[in-house]
Amino acid sequence: MSVVTAPKDTAVWVDEERCKACDVCVSVCPAGVLAMRPEPSSTLGAMITIIAPQDCIGCYDCELHCPDFAIFVADRKEYKFSKIKEEAKKRAELIKKNNYRLPDGV
Amino acid sequence: MKTREVISTGNDLAALAAVDAGCKFFGGYPITPSSEVMHTISDLLPQRGGYAIQMEDEIAGICATIGAAMSGVRALTATSGPGVSLKAENLGLAQMAEVPMVLVNVMRGGPSTGLPTRVSQGDIRQARNPSHGDYRSITLCAGNLAECYTEVVRAFNIADRFMQPVIVLTDETLGHMHGKAIIPTQEEVEKGVVPRKTFDGNPEEYRPYGVGEDEPAVLNPMFKGYRYHFTGLHHDAKGFPTEEIETCRKLIQRLEDKVMNYAEEIEYNEEFMLDDFNGEEGEVLIIAYGSVSLAAKEAIRHLRKDGVKAGLFRPITLWPSPAKRIRHFTDMVKNVLCVELNIRQYTEEVERVSGRLDLEGLYKVNGRPISPFEIVEKVKEVF
Amino acid sequence: MAFNYDKYLRLEKMPTLWCWGCGDGVILKALIRAIDKMGWSKDDVCIVSGIGCSGRTSSYVDFNTVHTTHGRTVAYATGIKMANPDKHVICVAGDGDALAIGGNHTIHGARRNIDINFIVINNFIYGLTNSQTSPTTPQGMWTVSQKVGNIDPTFDACKLAIASGASFVGRETVLDPKKIEKLFINGFKHKGFSFFDIMSNCHVNLGRKNQMANAMENLDWIDQMTIPKTKYEKLSDEEKLNKFPTGILKQDESAREYCDMYQDVIDAHQGKRKKITQDEFKKKI
Repeated sequence: MSVVTAPKDTAVWVDEERCKACDVCVSVCPAGVLAMRPEPSSTLGAMITIIAPQDCIGCYDCELHCPDFAIFVADRKEYKFSKIKEEAKKRAELIKKNNYRLPDGV
Repeated sequence: MKTREVISTGNDLAALAAVDAGCKFFGGYPITPSSEVMHTISDLLPQRGGYAIQMEDEIAGICATIGAAMSGVRALTATSGPGVSLKAENLGLAQMAEVPMVLVNVMRGGPSTGLPTRVSQGDIRQARNPSHGDYRSITLCAGNLAECYTEVVRAFNIADRFMQPVIVLTDETLGHMHGKAIIPTQEEVEKGVVPRKTFDGNPEEYRPYGVGEDEPAVLNPMFKGYRYHFTGLHHDAKGFPTEEIETCRKLIQRLEDKVMNYAEEIEYNEEFMLDDFNGEEGEVLIIAYGSVSLAAKEAIRHLRKDGVKAGLFRPITLWPSPAKRIRHFTDMVKNVLCVELNIRQYTEEVERVSGRLDLEGLYKVNGRPISPFEIVEKVKEVF
Repeated sequence: MAFNYDKYLRLEKMPTLWCWGCGDGVILKALIRAIDKMGWSKDDVCIVSGIGCSGRTSSYVDFNTVHTTHGRTVAYATGIKMANPDKHVICVAGDGDALAIGGNHTIHGARRNIDINFIVINNFIYGLTNSQTSPTTPQGMWTVSQKVGNIDPTFDACKLAIASGASFVGRETVLDPKKIEKLFINGFKHKGFSFFDIMSNCHVNLGRKNQMANAMENLDWIDQMTIPKTKYEKLSDEEKLNKFPTGILKQDESAREYCDMYQDVIDAHQGKRKKITQDEFKKKI
């Protein structure tokens, strides 16, 4: 059973058992909150990681686009999301250009 | 049993039987010579609050029928040989998913479009294995007008008992025969209805396909709190697709055993003028079924008058075949004549169960019925 | 609290057998949210699916579920719906399922205007059987059965549904799951045959040899050939040729639903009304 109730003070969280590492959530995240990390035990050799939860704007795009019921975003009433930041937008672009992984030094 | 006398046709009687047996849904498609089943039931069902629909094709006819049956109601489709060919794949799904429903096949000449308005018994082998894979078809064959009614009623009860489709074979002769029939009253039929088993425990513990090794599935009606899965794939106790080796083997073995271990429950034969058979020289055993048996009986009466000790064995349940009973007579009687409106379709089964290869046969495939005198002549010619 | 999909899932069936990034899962989630918003009881819903990747949809959700033969979803659903007119029947099929092998049932389900919700997951290819041409595969694309390029003209599923008489027809794409959910809700509320052409990605079996081997590339391709209906209508005839409009493309609340009409048949047979006449069906504006 996935964690449907938000862990305390958490914007976005993942059920790694369900994630198939398709990169879609990283692709749709406008704020560079998500990136893939190398994960030898995963079929595609990668796993989703939440790298910047503090920048999550609560757009729900990752949750809506996840085909595998693996990623969840907190309710707007229960969590105060960030406004979109320039720095976050830039990071999102860099991640997408770097094969969905966080480039070194970012 | 209380009976009533009706003047009707085989096709009309099949339709009446279905609604009397509690059928609530009919899905069909026009095809000669079975269309009158649809014509009649499309009046009878709405009169009694049921639903009859003419679908867009033969395939859709059986799919809608199976869909209604899955939801828990008794459902019928009717067709002829070409229609069965089209329906075959979905008959297979009903076998696999264990959905009880009844298919009436009013046989006409084949193969292909064949002789649409003429009689035949060419679908005997087809009825045994309409679809691919391992399963056991249950096929009943009406031999007179009254049986166009009683066999359809029996088919519904067997379908719910064994949880699979049941085929009722009639033919163009019977379907369009117009005459008197003595049939049970509607009340008698209603009294005899044995609805399918249901599970009424905790839905969490419900295992529709988790039954004994030779038992049929227990499928609750839809929309009643027992949510489960139908599929044509190999499936587990809950109905979900699986490729697990033992589960797959057990499932297919169960489809076989649930019928074959209880075949005597379905077996039903008529033995006409066989009481005095004792194996003495000169006895003639005729094996025939369906409308041909009417001619065979007439022939036997003539033969008896002429001093030939003839009798008829008529299987009414064709599949599974009454192997023991056939063997009983073929072991006892030397002269055996199989009469069919096809080429050896059931004769081959009689050969298989009797182990005899010296059976005589009278076969006709020109779309015309066999007359009693053809049978009399054949008997005199070969024995 | 995030949306509780688990309430509607058969958790022991997770993960799905769909490939990474497959649109089927996105559509399934939109379907679950739409059913949740409708407030329907799980017991009152029947999901009927066909054969192909989309066919597995029914096994993942905790409703009354039926996995039928290839192409026959609407035919099965017709039997289920007619015998249970007050229940909610939803079909899920693929483009091959709904438009090739099952095309006839799609046409006639729509023509009858029976209250079935028919979701076509249109990924432009036969995915499960590894990349054969489907009725919606664009001409010129590589398929495993036409390796030098597909020559078969393609199908506009919504045009077929509209012409066949479906009273609710809409199209959305996996690019916008919220819009799919909204379209489903509108269709579910509509009484009659509701047809949904949901364009989806198959980056594995369509994309890998057509230069869009990941989900987003495949979705970008769908994005450039779809356009909201209001904008589509402003396009020139030539511009329209290679675009598919999205949104609600047809909604006719005046068309009578089949089970409702069948009640007239029952009433006529039971002497509760006169025979049905041609006049009752005269078209009015």
